[in-house]
Amino acid sequence: MKKKLVSLDEALGPIQSGSTVAIGGSLLRRQPNAAIRALIRLGIKDLTVQTWASTTAVDMLAAAGAIRRYEGIYAGMFGFGLAPNFRRAVQNGEIEVRDFSETAMVARLRAAGQGLPSLPIKTLFGSDIALRNPEQFREYNCPISGEKLLAVQAAYADFTIIHGYVGDEFGNVQWPIVRDSDDVDMMMGAASKRLIVTVEKIVSHDEIKRRPALTYIPGHLVEAIVEVPYGAHPVSTDGFYDEDEAHLERYLQESKTPEGIRAYLDAFAREPASHEDYIAKVGGRAALAALNVKQGADA
Amino acid sequence: MTAELDYTVNELVTALVASEIRDGDLAFVGVGTNGRAFTLAVGIPLVALRLAQMTHAPAASVYWGNLLEPDLSSIPDHLRQDSFTNWHAAASPADVGYKCDMLMRRQFDVSFDSGAQVDAYGNLNITALGDYTKPKVRLVGCLAQPEHFAFVPRPIIMTDLSQRTFVEKVDFVTSVGHARDGRTREDWGLGPGGPSIVVTDKAILDFNSPDRRMRIRSIHSGFTLDDVLGAMSFRPVVPDEIPQTPAPNAEQLRLIREKIDPRRVLLKV
Repeated sequence: MKKKLVSLDEALGPIQSGSTVAIGGSLLRRQPNAAIRALIRLGIKDLTVQTWASTTAVDMLAAAGAIRRYEGIYAGMFGFGLAPNFRRAVQNGEIEVRDFSETAMVARLRAAGQGLPSLPIKTLFGSDIALRNPEQFREYNCPISGEKLLAVQAAYADFTIIHGYVGDEFGNVQWPIVRDSDDVDMMMGAASKRLIVTVEKIVSHDEIKRRPALTYIPGHLVEAIVEVPYGAHPVSTDGFYDEDEAHLERYLQESKTPEGIRAYLDAFAREPASHEDYIAKVGGRAALAALNVKQGADA
Repeated sequence: MTAELDYTVNELVTALVASEIRDGDLAFVGVGTNGRAFTLAVGIPLVALRLAQMTHAPAASVYWGNLLEPDLSSIPDHLRQDSFTNWHAAASPADVGYKCDMLMRRQFDVSFDSGAQVDAYGNLNITALGDYTKPKVRLVGCLAQPEHFAFVPRPIIMTDLSQRTFVEKVDFVTSVGHARDGRTREDWGLGPGGPSIVVTDKAILDFNSPDRRMRIRSIHSGFTLDDVLGAMSFRPVVPDEIPQTPAPNAEQLRLIREKIDPRRVLLKV
């Protein structure tokens, strides 16, 4: 087995402006925010992003002017409302948007995972999601049954970034027994070409080996794994820590104006030289420990 | 007839929604947002389903987030992640692909959906107001709402009545209702389905009209036909006789207030 444990900047090094990047997590869970802040610090731009239900990751990238095109099922702030910076950029015509419903996005990821160009769904007949996107949706009749189907293009990404729970130095990533499974990270990992995983904690390979059925991202898929505690902050990692509501409120406050969010990104993404600097900036490990939940990192 | 009961509009529509639930139904409830939107998308549906379980539909169940049959006798009190993570349920499939497959195979009976715009034929918009490529207001996208309208036999729309929301034609059809642009959902290639009723703060509407245009089914006590029509940008079908929305009974109110939502977390606003 090959050792894949590297630093965050080493892991993200190959990502160039103009790439297509799939981003894991769902709603206020496991958005790979540490990696997203690093991409902003590194000045990566012109991205096509593919997401499930995205909140902070897409909104911060939009605030940094780093997204050329968005493809996903949802971009908002869950209980905190609409995604302010994504919304502003789309309304200004700065981001090209393609929406996909859940069965469409699942079909796209499964197609990529199987090496197929497309898979059919039966969902979006008559919906503007398909009618306004003839490049990525095409009606056809099943050559076996004759049934009318809608082909949706596979979601191939140049890079995939996922924030996971724990993993070993070989890139095997495991979920805890009790978790919130409302996401598609396993599927997104299986569909990836170059997969970068950040995890809350690196554990020994011996620990991973004892419960192989908990490995949802096997190391053979992974190009780089990075230990990034609180790597989803200010959102949650289920089983480890809750979302930081005060910080999210502050983020929304700063997002009211382009100047406000520019200053926020300077302070929290561009100026900290590393994730450790970011942690210090938001109050240090001791302050973040207040967000911890019963099981998890400190259990 | 017993003495007149005092109840809120939220309690009224919760009892009405409960009466729409049949024994054995599997209902999809979204994870919602906050404030009034949360009450409509999550609060009322969860209380109504629990009420149905405790009265006429003990075998009704819920798919919530990615939890199949969460324990509705202990609905979390607050909405932070860890409450969801540790909510007891019969199953939490490995990922959401499982729920998507169940939807396409038409295994759900009921769903709850809201939108920024609803039109006369039950099309819903949660994607964008104005032009799609450079919208006036960019909304959240679509989630699984198109799936609900495509594959669930009885979706229930939960939206407060307002002229801004109830429009003749939505700016963007996220989810196809009963017809659009003069073609029925079947003409477009969808199977049977489309929204069954529209639950609002002033009236209940349905699509039981010859061309499946939205129709007033009942009006809540305290509101007039003019109140309802004045809060819509299009004219729905208005039957000659419009009944009053049935009031909740004393037992339903007792269950809602004392057993299901005693701290008024779900029916707060």
